[in-house]
Amino acid sequence: MSEAEPSYAVGDRVRILDIGKPGHVRTPTYIRHKVGTIERFCGMFENPEDKAYGRWGLPPIPLYRVQLKQDDIWPDYDGAPGDVLEIEIYDHWLAPAGETT
Amino acid sequence: MVDKLTTDIGGDSAGPVPQEDRDQLFWEKQMIAAFNLLQVKGVVVTDEFRRTVEEMPADYYANSTFYGRRLDGMVRLLIEKGVIDADTIEARTREILESGTRDHV
Amino acid sequence: MSDHDHDHDDHAPTREDDDLELTEGEARFLALKSLLIEGGVMTADEIRARMEFNERGSPHQAARMIARAWVDPDYKARMLADTKSAAAELGIEATEAALVTIENTPERHNMVVCTLCSCYPRSLLGEPPAFYVSKAYRSRAVREPRKVLREFGVDIPDAVDIAVHDSNADLRYVIMPMRPQGTEGMSEEELAALITRDSVVGCALPVEPS
Repeated sequence: MSEAEPSYAVGDRVRILDIGKPGHVRTPTYIRHKVGTIERFCGMFENPEDKAYGRWGLPPIPLYRVQLKQDDIWPDYDGAPGDVLEIEIYDHWLAPAGETT
Repeated sequence: MVDKLTTDIGGDSAGPVPQEDRDQLFWEKQMIAAFNLLQVKGVVVTDEFRRTVEEMPADYYANSTFYGRRLDGMVRLLIEKGVIDADTIEARTREILESGTRDHV
Repeated sequence: MSDHDHDHDDHAPTREDDDLELTEGEARFLALKSLLIEGGVMTADEIRARMEFNERGSPHQAARMIARAWVDPDYKARMLADTKSAAAELGIEATEAALVTIENTPERHNMVVCTLCSCYPRSLLGEPPAFYVSKAYRSRAVREPRKVLREFGVDIPDAVDIAVHDSNADLRYVIMPMRPQGTEGMSEEELAALITRDSVVGCALPVEPS
């Protein structure tokens, strides 16, 4: 497999997945299955899911900031319609919005 | 279905945000410095430390303090890596408690 | 051996500890420390040096940077583009891999949280406030930011959006508050004094000039 490269561009609509991975992950449950927009490409970073177990976490993987509307995250969100949340998500936890796996 | 990590609490219900602040105790500052050195020296990796905190039982996490978790997580990790021995640190802790001494290195 | 007849001008950082009974937590840490030193993993001098290095991080660092950004639009642009380099310009050594400044605007108020642990730009700001690492803040800030802010005495009108930043991976965040009205002609030092630690996290607004 070729070295990981960013799959998404700023403005892309993406779905945050639940990849069913046990152990150390940095994608909180509250954000899984939600749809947002790529706000920026943060760069290539070593994979913490591997580093947590003494592995090198290489090759580095793409990390993005995803912006989501709070109304799209919480069914009972009580705030302004323009309120957003921004969070960092690694490439393998994302799919283009519209895909469901 | 994979269980939620104990640290994965974003969105959970909770009471008021505690507003009182307190200064770090001297030993807490020293502990943070020692942990930073372990990372800088490559003895531990931050992700491993986070993982050991996550591996502690849920009821421990619920009842622990911020500095208590850091200490317990780091001790677990160092035992896992064979840097220290579980019985030795336990015995040394008892000794220090019994003598009531501390130093201010 | 602990000696309670200290000269009160000596060793200020140890003052509070000397008056406190030794807890299990502290004893356990002291045990760990002694084993690490005996095992040659680190020295007492290295611990001392690192403590001193850590003391350099404080909210005042960020306040200096933000005050400079308020008076100098070019510095502000540099701080927004590359926060680490902007810190270095003021002699501040930030060791985080990725440091990002997010600017509050009349349209949007920003706040930072680390829901999973306590990620925070420590080398720039020092240790996070107790509220930041509390479970209540970590759980609720993402879900009900306006309610949490009201607990801090901050009421953001609905016409202003709130953006919550969950610092869950490799970026660390500094919030740049808006410059308050009535601060024209104030020096950078006077401006820095208005910028509180909580305002750099997004849980307070800067102090209004009196």
